Amino acid sequence: MIREDLHKVAAVAGVGHTDWVGDHLRVRAGEKPQDSYGYGAIAFKAALADAGIDRSDIDGLIVGPTTAYERVAEVLGLDVRWGGEADAMLGVIQACMAIKSGMAEVVALVYGNDQRSAAVNYGGANAQGGGAFLAYVYHAPWGFTSQGALYAMMFRRYMELSGLTEAELGEVAVAQRLASSRNPNALMRKRITVEDYLSSPYICEPLHLFDYCLINDGGVALIVAEASRARKMSKTPVMIHGVARSDLNRGATSLEPRLVDFYRSAQQRAAEQVFGMAGIEPDDVSSLQIYDSFSCHIPLALEGYGYCKPGEVGRFMREHGISLAKGLPINTSGGHLSESYMQGWNHQIEAVRQVRGEGGDRQVPDCRFVHYSSDVAGKAVSIMYGR
Amino acid sequence: MATSQRVMTHFDKPMWASIERGRLELQACLDCGQFRYPPGPACPHCLSMQAEWRAVSGRATILSWVVFHKTYFDDHPAPYNAIAVRLEEGPIVVTTLAGEPPRGSWIGKEVEFCYELHAGRMQHKARLRHVGPLQAGAAA
Ligand SMILES: [Zn+2]
Repeated sequence: MIREDLHKVAAVAGVGHTDWVGDHLRVRAGEKPQDSYGYGAIAFKAALADAGIDRSDIDGLIVGPTTAYERVAEVLGLDVRWGGEADAMLGVIQACMAIKSGMAEVVALVYGNDQRSAAVNYGGANAQGGGAFLAYVYHAPWGFTSQGALYAMMFRRYMELSGLTEAELGEVAVAQRLASSRNPNALMRKRITVEDYLSSPYICEPLHLFDYCLINDGGVALIVAEASRARKMSKTPVMIHGVARSDLNRGATSLEPRLVDFYRSAQQRAAEQVFGMAGIEPDDVSSLQIYDSFSCHIPLALEGYGYCKPGEVGRFMREHGISLAKGLPINTSGGHLSESYMQGWNHQIEAVRQVRGEGGDRQVPDCRFVHYSSDVAGKAVSIMYGR
Repeated sequence: MATSQRVMTHFDKPMWASIERGRLELQACLDCGQFRYPPGPACPHCLSMQAEWRAVSGRATILSWVVFHKTYFDDHPAPYNAIAVRLEEGPIVVTTLAGEPPRGSWIGKEVEFCYELHAGRMQHKARLRHVGPLQAGAAA
């Protein structure tokens, strides 16, 4: 059954982020500009200013999983009536739920992460996330570690079954570099070709260096407000037209839903829910923002959400196109591969900016709906942003 | 860097003890008969808490493979592979393919588990099941 209760209940009224480029240069020079809380505070102040509201207007708070809820509230001097901890995509959905139920009206979502300057490891001994996701650490005795390897294992099988080539996968990195070359906030601005991609080293074969996300410090914040409240704020609100989630956790540690299903059945259920709630079709979507810890998320999402037929995504990416140059533009900021690795948070603010028409040199013309999708660790999540 | 470590919960200990003895044992549900991996307190198929440890045949089919070109652990210098295999008994297990890898796609290749000392502990690996001239008739 399609639930429509959260359709246009809430809107994004403000967005903010830290100086990813400047901070990255400082971190690489050996400095530590901020800790996770500091990055969150900078982004929060920017989001308040963007929405044109005062801190006293905030009555709900969601913090990212990299910081402690109580401490963020303490640092920001917030006494709210509702709050919690969530990742970017679930944070937006939970804010909608809190607003719908009357638990809060104006929710701040605050994320800060000092992963680069704190030298966080996503593979090897003490791999980040092992406490929450057993698959991240369970196969270490055989050297099978890092989230990249989990996706490499999944995507190798997909390539063998579908015939998708490495050069076709390279379209993702090339398209996202084209986007980031037009984005002053992006860390990686040099354009690349499919040939550059193919000649880059493998990290975990079949994935190349250019298939992997960046690791950098930073913060992002959003103000999600009840729709009528959002209309009274500075910026034209970006409405949340639909949200969806579908999990596949059976067999998660033995990689069953990745290797057998490519998470597809969860994506299909989420697609039905998000398009149903928004009342639109894939053809109505102007741009797609896809959680891209690795480039292979993109072809799997394009098929899973029905943007092309199963088994045809290689040709879709090559011939129809997925870039600002042609076709359906994906990850128009450069995403995790080329803009900034803010664990899905930068995708939310890029969606908002595209709908507002604030994309500058990377603006998608007549941008009406932006679909955000992620399939991280068994959770297929979707958000439909629009006017 | 450091040596790779086993996850050793209450339910992992009997499994690793069986690997030390040179034959992987997994829990089989006493109510529905399904094997499970990794070991755990309940049967995900029927929620039964009753299980017994049974040796698996060690025969499996490769579902996918990767080759690491980056070193993450002292005991796994790159390049090295990892494979995901479907055991004859059902569960998917990640292991290492020992010996000469197949040419072309590894998917669908049949393997057999073997056991070797690795970083001071016994560990399972898999070898391709070569159907030689003498066995070809029997296998067909
Ligand atoms: Zn059972």
